[in-house]
Amino acid sequence: MRAEHIFCDLPASALQAFENIKYATAYPKGAVLFVEGQAPRGIFVLCKGRVKLSICATDGKTLIVKIAEPGEVLGLSASVSGKPYELTAETIDPCQVNFVKREDFLRFLKDHSDACFKVAEQLSEKYNNACHEVRSLGLSHSAGEKLAKLLLEWSSKNGEATKQEPRLKLALTHEEIAQMIGTSRETVTRLFADLKKRQIVQAKGSTLVIRNKAALEIMATNS
Amino acid sequence: MASVLEARCGECVLRSGRVFCDLPAEALEAFDGIKTVALFPRASALFREGNVANGVFVICQGRIKLFLSSESGKRLTLKIAGPGEVLGLSAALSGTPYEATAEALEDATVACVKRGDLVRFLRDHREACLRVVDLLSGDLHTAYGRVCSVGLGRSRRLRALRIQ
Repeated sequence: MRAEHIFCDLPASALQAFENIKYATAYPKGAVLFVEGQAPRGIFVLCKGRVKLSICATDGKTLIVKIAEPGEVLGLSASVSGKPYELTAETIDPCQVNFVKREDFLRFLKDHSDACFKVAEQLSEKYNNACHEVRSLGLSHSAGEKLAKLLLEWSSKNGEATKQEPRLKLALTHEEIAQMIGTSRETVTRLFADLKKRQIVQAKGSTLVIRNKAALEIMATNS
Repeated sequence: MASVLEARCGECVLRSGRVFCDLPAEALEAFDGIKTVALFPRASALFREGNVANGVFVICQGRIKLFLSSESGKRLTLKIAGPGEVLGLSAALSGTPYEATAEALEDATVACVKRGDLVRFLRDHREACLRVVDLLSGDLHTAYGRVCSVGLGRSRRLRALRIQ
């Protein structure tokens, strides 16, 4: 299920109600939508651009939980439960966002059961994603395994999955990739150098071509 | 143990204070119509990671462990769920396989509902749907907590080891 149009295919009455409570806003790259620990102000429906969702440890170390794509609703669980935002959301592209105040959103959910069901579905997806993240962080043995998994996951998007040599656009820096798999920037750089040397991947500008998918799959399952 | 449990949710004395159980009377009655109450002995599995999610499980009594496992058999506990909690929700609602294995830590009484019945129930009963949204938010909160402790706690420990 693509969440692309989470609130867009609602019945007309619900759609109208949503139009009335949303604020369409534009953010430049690098803008912070909300910060972990803040009291929830409301939800952010991402219409265009991508947003980096991260958790920060007390010692300042950052872990990127997810790169959110258009269609995703951010700040959802915090707004529903009233607990502080669990994550920090920062734009990595210029973004177009629909903001809805928490009280308005809660009232909207009470009044429109279709919207409520959609929200349940989206929360389910987020939960699955979080479990996936816990698994990758907690049960992978090495940074190499985690990187291989991440590259395979990225290469399975945009219809590249079936190709023999899938391509993917590396939108993140080595530092950010390190924060996604819970390792250091140096390790990521070393791993990439190793992958290139073994001709498993090949870099063409910011595009990465996976030359030897089988080898990457082996890396992702054991070692 | 089974004595305090009623066949009908509306008559259950344990109901109050439990988010999903404390529904309006008409919703509870409808829920009675779709649930099957089952006893899971200690160490039996309610569902297994990777299996097709064909239902959800509302814990009436007992504690259930949710854990992830790797190919090599390593396990990572997600959480210990208690009475009133609903398991398998996210998988059932998103139509994906169960994300974890649920195993009874003690003899547990559980109300099971088929996926299709649940979806229909949630569409018909707005209050139940709101509760589910609430529960999922709580689950997500716990999961992010685990991401944090597994992803950041561990590296902090490693760093501490390196400093020594």
